[in-house]
Amino acid sequence: MRAKDIANIEKRLVDATAQKDTATMIECYRRAAAIYEATGDENSAAFFFTNAYVFALEAGSPHANELRGKLIALGRI
Amino acid sequence: MNNPGIFDHEAVNRVLQPVEKANGLPNAHYIDPTIFEAEKKPIFFDNWAGIGFAKDLPEKGYAKPLTFLGQPLLLVRDRLGTVRVFHNICRHRGMILVEDAGAIRGALRCPYHSWCYDLDGALKATPHVGGPGHNAHEAIDRDTLGLIEVRSHIWRDVIFINLSGEAEPFEIANGELIKRWAEFETPIFHGGPESSFKLRIKTNWKLAVENYCESYHLPWIHPGLNSYSRLEDHYNIEEAGKLSGQGTLVYRQLTGENGEQFADGPGLSSKWDKAAEYITAFPNVMLGVHRDHSFAIVLEPVSTGETLEHIEIYYHDKSSLSQNLEALRCKNAELWKRVFEEDIFVVEGMQRGRHASKFDGGRFSPVMDSPTHLFHHWVAGKIAQAA
Repeated sequence: MRAKDIANIEKRLVDATAQKDTATMIECYRRAAAIYEATGDENSAAFFFTNAYVFALEAGSPHANELRGKLIALGRI
Repeated sequence: MNNPGIFDHEAVNRVLQPVEKANGLPNAHYIDPTIFEAEKKPIFFDNWAGIGFAKDLPEKGYAKPLTFLGQPLLLVRDRLGTVRVFHNICRHRGMILVEDAGAIRGALRCPYHSWCYDLDGALKATPHVGGPGHNAHEAIDRDTLGLIEVRSHIWRDVIFINLSGEAEPFEIANGELIKRWAEFETPIFHGGPESSFKLRIKTNWKLAVENYCESYHLPWIHPGLNSYSRLEDHYNIEEAGKLSGQGTLVYRQLTGENGEQFADGPGLSSKWDKAAEYITAFPNVMLGVHRDHSFAIVLEPVSTGETLEHIEIYYHDKSSLSQNLEALRCKNAELWKRVFEEDIFVVEGMQRGRHASKFDGGRFSPVMDSPTHLFHHWVAGKIAQAA
């Protein structure tokens, strides 16, 4: 189930990147990070939180602070 | 390139003679691409060069990339409203950061590896720099890797930069000009889209300045202006080593069909009732002031034989921007555009003439061309210092 969710997210990411749909990209990276966070896979969670974070920074998104907090909590800032 | 050995110093020294004896700069300074490159540092990068206008950053958070003499630059109005100039590159691998002008909603993100910068230049994020999911590394000190800021100064809405960082402060380097026009140190208001235009001319940028320096050509090139502002109504403006230009004693305010005029700037002395002045802030910003409006021309040296003139007109009272004066603003812009277009064939003609191999750089009328010689002398002096 998790693998299927990740595959769907990755497909949405490819489309969103092609369309420069930053909001969707942030959402996709956040969802992927949450899935890995829930399973305790810190490295993968940190990877996806990082990608969500930089696009949130660029967009001036309100999610930027929350994502920064996640990375700090993981010791990955 | 810093290669002072490339210049013909014997010819440059002839420029440094008194105006009665001097020759102009040699042909190579107008037609040789190698000299064009060699002039960049002593003429532009070591001094205060004009590169654009603050009005092109219309709101906080706006960024505009541009290239000036090959240098990729980024104009930014930060979140506090301060205009800054940075090198438009990421500190990681030198990738160009911003391709298109526009509002920056958040941070500047490098498209290559997503390093992110605040608009004050601070490096905010270095994603995966320590490995996937590891966003820091002890070898990468973000505090030392912010955007490279270029020393800048805004005057009369013109953005000036000193790339070398070593020039005197702007207020000192251009102190005489600022003092001369102290009465115009009041807010100016850009006239809008109709007050902004560009002219691409097939000439070396220096010829545009040389032509701007003098009124000698008025009767032959600007017959319309000359009809009410004759040679004898003009005077030379010269501060050796600093600035030169010309003034007129008979400025005539533009009047609309119904007698409307632009309002004067506040607090001007009676000198400016009829006077107007036209001075170049060396090396490349040509300025004109009148009681009711002013303009700035930033010369962008595209190549040794091509220059792009960026021309902006400003008004000295906000009332001049009103809807009912739009037609008058258009008329004013058209008049100036016509005047500047009248100069095109002579500056382009001089550029073509510089290919005459026996031309010695020319001579100067000690009475009529002294501001022009002063500019040649300034350029020659900078080149001599570079040796």
